[in-house]
Amino acid sequence: MGKATDIRIEQIDEYRWRIPKDSRPGMRVDGIIYADEKLMAHIRGEQAADQVANVATLPGIVGASLAMPDIHWGYGFCIGGVAATDIAAGGVVSPGGVGYDINCGVRLLRSDLTVEQVRPQMKALIDQLFRDIPCGVGVGGPFKFSDTELRRICLGGAKYLAETGLADEDDLAATEAGGALDGADPDAVSPVAYRRGRDQCGTLGAGNHFVEVQAVEEIFDAQAAEAMELAEGKVCVMIHSGSRGFGYQVCDDAIKSLRKVPEKFGITLPDRQLICAPVESPEGKRYLGAMRSAANYAWANRQLLARLTRKALSHHFKTPVESLGLRQVYDVAHNIAKIETHDVGGRPRKLCVHRKGATRAFGPGHDELPQRYRAVGQPVLIPGDMGTASYVLVGTAGAMKQTFGSTCHGAGRVMSRKAAIRAAAGRRIDAELAAAGIFARARGRSGLDEEQPDAYKDIHNVVDVVVAAGLARKVARLKPMGVIKG
Amino acid sequence: MAGHCETFEHTADVGLQGRADSLGELFEAMGEGLAEVICPRRSVKKQKTLKIRTESENVEALLVDFLGDLLGLFNLEKFLVAGVKVERIDETSVAAEVTGEPYDPARHELADEIKAVTYHQLKVAREGDEWTGRVILDV
Repeated sequence: MGKATDIRIEQIDEYRWRIPKDSRPGMRVDGIIYADEKLMAHIRGEQAADQVANVATLPGIVGASLAMPDIHWGYGFCIGGVAATDIAAGGVVSPGGVGYDINCGVRLLRSDLTVEQVRPQMKALIDQLFRDIPCGVGVGGPFKFSDTELRRICLGGAKYLAETGLADEDDLAATEAGGALDGADPDAVSPVAYRRGRDQCGTLGAGNHFVEVQAVEEIFDAQAAEAMELAEGKVCVMIHSGSRGFGYQVCDDAIKSLRKVPEKFGITLPDRQLICAPVESPEGKRYLGAMRSAANYAWANRQLLARLTRKALSHHFKTPVESLGLRQVYDVAHNIAKIETHDVGGRPRKLCVHRKGATRAFGPGHDELPQRYRAVGQPVLIPGDMGTASYVLVGTAGAMKQTFGSTCHGAGRVMSRKAAIRAAAGRRIDAELAAAGIFARARGRSGLDEEQPDAYKDIHNVVDVVVAAGLARKVARLKPMGVIKG
Repeated sequence: MAGHCETFEHTADVGLQGRADSLGELFEAMGEGLAEVICPRRSVKKQKTLKIRTESENVEALLVDFLGDLLGLFNLEKFLVAGVKVERIDETSVAAEVTGEPYDPARHELADEIKAVTYHQLKVAREGDEWTGRVILDV
């Protein structure tokens, strides 16, 4: 787990902790961590808080270097971090502030299926999903794209797939950014990335990526749930994946090519993994062009995964897809950098907002929200561990004010992968989950062991903190019924 | 002493730390340590030999780039590594012979998906007669 932090942390209130900007040399703003006492005890035990302080040194950073309650030790940035830089003030973009899995994110499909209908067939349904959805390390899928098509995916993301009949307008309307960011530059993507991306669009990958069948266990907000067409006792499917090898390569290439850039702009970094370039510099623009290409690839990937999921359910229930009511609730990114306008000191500023293991959570009325969510706020999808629960939240005005419209992204790991495998020794995680009524299948040797419920923080605790701090409101709690992992 | 490499704990990722009598042995040990995280080496046959050559601006960047090139053999060529033998090395370039075989899903059980070799807490240093290295992999 690494060594404990010795950085100065002051409590602001029950859910907020400050790392004052004089705690470490070079900090330009304070660090603020959202957590309660219990979560803080774990955070103090590792080096994530030092990483929050390191991020506070980035040129142009405004407000504070923020960390959500699912914060844990990452590389460069912590996971669960939000950092916004003022573009006009020389603000930087950092590939480390996005991560290797660019636009890793979550998509949720609701359905008309009931828990009573699905539960007796769970094992067969999970087997069907496991057969139909390519998953595992480096596994390719049924969709093959030429370099020309991949360049179109870079530019158009899920929107491009709509042109080819693989996506529909209703899905796009319920996807962050409509399924494609403007400003992608396919020429900024290396041939190696194209090679890696050729057969991986429409594949789940490995690690913590999954497709999970869930029951709507409890509704907390009737109006928002109605807008999302969620009702207690109905079944949903949650998809978690990102930009696959294509995105990893884009990030790796960027970090390599930016190595000498901080020196060129006179930027001193406490950690080389925070490598960055001013947003307005040629190097910064090139990275953003490549990053947006990978983000769009990820939206196309989740679109194809949703298509495979719908087909698998249709095949299993011997019912046309249209009769299952598998409407997309939303699709959100949780590893991304976006240009957004937020109020800073009472003035609207154009910012580069990095969300690394953090989810956009725009409040009601924001003009980027589709009509059906305008009144309730943006749906925020928070997967928990596979044995406990996931949540659907909505963004709030409080998030707009405090965190550049951001909130947490999941439970957050608490156990290293090695420790999780040790803790699983002599146990059968799949059998333990089955005893709790959850059917799990994984491709990899250690997939289920590494992802066992005990490896994560308590999702209820994490969500309660963001809700109490005013960063989101609860809409629904979803209970896992079955899951496939890479 | 031949080189030695082991993994260390990091909350979300996997760390590799190695030590050896020479820089070449350190790179061999860490290259084989990386291979072990991709797929246990006892299941990989030394069937084919490839040559790799990596250049970089300093010895730490060289380790990241060298491990990145080894990772690329799996990501791009689906080649699994059983052994690494450094032929020539200085602080900015390394030439190595890599033995292994193509990935066969029927025989090889892959461990973790490694997204990249990161620069976080990266270290290559000479301490007395010993070379030590440390790197964190994003998984």
